[in-house]
Amino acid sequence: MGVIPDSQRDLLSLIAARLVPESAQLSGAGHAEMLALIDEALADRPAAMQRQFSLFLQVLRWAPVARYGRRLDRLEPRQQEAALRWFQDCPVQIIRSGFWGVRTLIMMGYYARPEVGASIGYHPSADGNAVLHARTRR
Amino acid sequence: MLERDADIVIIGSGAGGGTIATELAPLCRNGARVVVLEAGPKLRESEFTGREVEMARRLYVDDGGFLTEDRSMTLALGRAYGGSTVVYTGTSLTITEPTLDRWGVAGLTHGDVLRRSQKYLAANSVHLLADEDLNDNNRLFAEGCRALGYRVEQFPLNLKGCTGSSVCNLGCPSGAKMGTHRVQLPEAERHGVTVVTNCTVNRIDDRAVVATVSERSYGEPSAWAPGEYRVRARAVVVSAGAVGSPALMLRSQLPAALPALGRYFTCHPALILVAQHDRPITNFAGHPKSFYCDHFADSDGFLLETCMYFPFTTAKSLTGFGAEHSGLMRAMDRLQMILVLAIDPPERDNRVLVDREGRTVVRYAFTDRVKRSLVLAMRASARIFFAAGAARIHAPASPRFLIEAAEANRVDELIPFDGLVLGKVAIASAHPMGGCRMGSSPIDSVTDSWGQVHGVPWLFVADASLFPRCAEINPYVTIMALADRVAEGVRRQLPELRALPS
Repeated sequence: MGVIPDSQRDLLSLIAARLVPESAQLSGAGHAEMLALIDEALADRPAAMQRQFSLFLQVLRWAPVARYGRRLDRLEPRQQEAALRWFQDCPVQIIRSGFWGVRTLIMMGYYARPEVGASIGYHPSADGNAVLHARTRR
Repeated sequence: MLERDADIVIIGSGAGGGTIATELAPLCRNGARVVVLEAGPKLRESEFTGREVEMARRLYVDDGGFLTEDRSMTLALGRAYGGSTVVYTGTSLTITEPTLDRWGVAGLTHGDVLRRSQKYLAANSVHLLADEDLNDNNRLFAEGCRALGYRVEQFPLNLKGCTGSSVCNLGCPSGAKMGTHRVQLPEAERHGVTVVTNCTVNRIDDRAVVATVSERSYGEPSAWAPGEYRVRARAVVVSAGAVGSPALMLRSQLPAALPALGRYFTCHPALILVAQHDRPITNFAGHPKSFYCDHFADSDGFLLETCMYFPFTTAKSLTGFGAEHSGLMRAMDRLQMILVLAIDPPERDNRVLVDREGRTVVRYAFTDRVKRSLVLAMRASARIFFAAGAARIHAPASPRFLIEAAEANRVDELIPFDGLVLGKVAIASAHPMGGCRMGSSPIDSVTDSWGQVHGVPWLFVADASLFPRCAEINPYVTIMALADRVAEGVRRQLPELRALPS
């Protein structure tokens, strides 16, 4: 078992699908890779930070009850996105920063996978100058 | 605990520690024992893969995302044989005379720093890239600046055999970047200096350091076996960087009152702007950082530099999420990027400290002027992008995810001052400075102008923590120049320094 509790993996995947819509289309292996990258990053952090991450996921799950009467994972996608934008723009800095942390980990999980390059037009070469010179000559 | 004896222990192997090591290495010919203790690994050539997360985990503290106390900024702190010189882009500028005058350190003249800087510009193969090696991302920046009448200059770079992989910040896969890992440390080792990697120094005692050598699953084995060591020395030089050095000294029971220790931390807070062109441009082929613009340094307190980052770093640096964010990310081959850096003032309460568990904490409050500078920098960058023909731009402080070219004349309105919301906008720093500032008095400085800690004749500092104010440029050449000066001081004083009896 990794740092992310099993009970929160589905919630994390749901949030990922709102932040990076393509993540919902990942294969089983791709999805597992995304969560593994997040898990590994958290594993390197102090236990206190791991607890804060877990606690903040709970806040993300339950706080929408106050606004929508239902928890985040029971909302329509449009409402989920609106709820997440509220966290992003929250007047309280510690809430914004907590959301920024979750968002950063999800961006890492999706965009740090080596396979992502082809889908976003990113394909660096060890001999970039050769590529550059060839493009310039064309 | 294992015991070791040395004449000089150097903590850290980056621009400061690597320079000190090579400058003191000739002492080995006369039997002196010089040891460098480096917390990071020495990666094998084949281990520089250019993969974003893998390299970040191996070469940076906290994967490159060390958070400040209030989590409004991340710090990129290199940790490797060669320190941050392994992961910088090699931009090699010398500090200006007005900036050094602002430092106001008695006895430290611009002529002295310049002379020492030039030595390393030569030693580390600093030169300008040829025109044919400048990619569109860089050319467009220069063209945009020139069209607007902004002063723009080409960066001198310390490269030899650069193949243009564009992943400098992940460690050069072709070994072309002439950091201390390629130049100074190998030379020091040839003279007899011992470099101990994977070695974390826990505290400094009286003329000794206590350190732990650990094993890693990557990199070359450390020169010393895993375990805890006490290393006695006649002189100790702290070069663990502007976060690591003050934190280590705060953790230690130093025999002197140093009220300024850890304080006056500055870091050139930075953020990234992205523009999308309607056609593919060359951006991730070729060196990523060829030009800078200091046109607004004096008037508005910011610098602009070209940059090109990797998918994850780019994704986290954009504000927002969802379909619009994904749409911009899918255009990586059409993106132009600018890094904006604020010239931040030395505030006494911006500081490095250690918490009750001994963990390093960086407390940093953004002044109103710094926030204003960052917004003005975003507006200037937006103008440069549009002058260079960008179709649309993303400015992190704008309430709109994208600003279209047709709205170029509304940049000031669309990037408002109150749009820079801490905790929402990704702000990062790769230039930590201060914390052990040089000066005359122990009340408001930690060392004298030769890097010797006030009241502790055997303890020296040689890294960016010496800076009394920020450098207003990329700092590594200045770090090397100061380390060269500190080495001169160590050589002068060493005959008078004695080790503790065994």
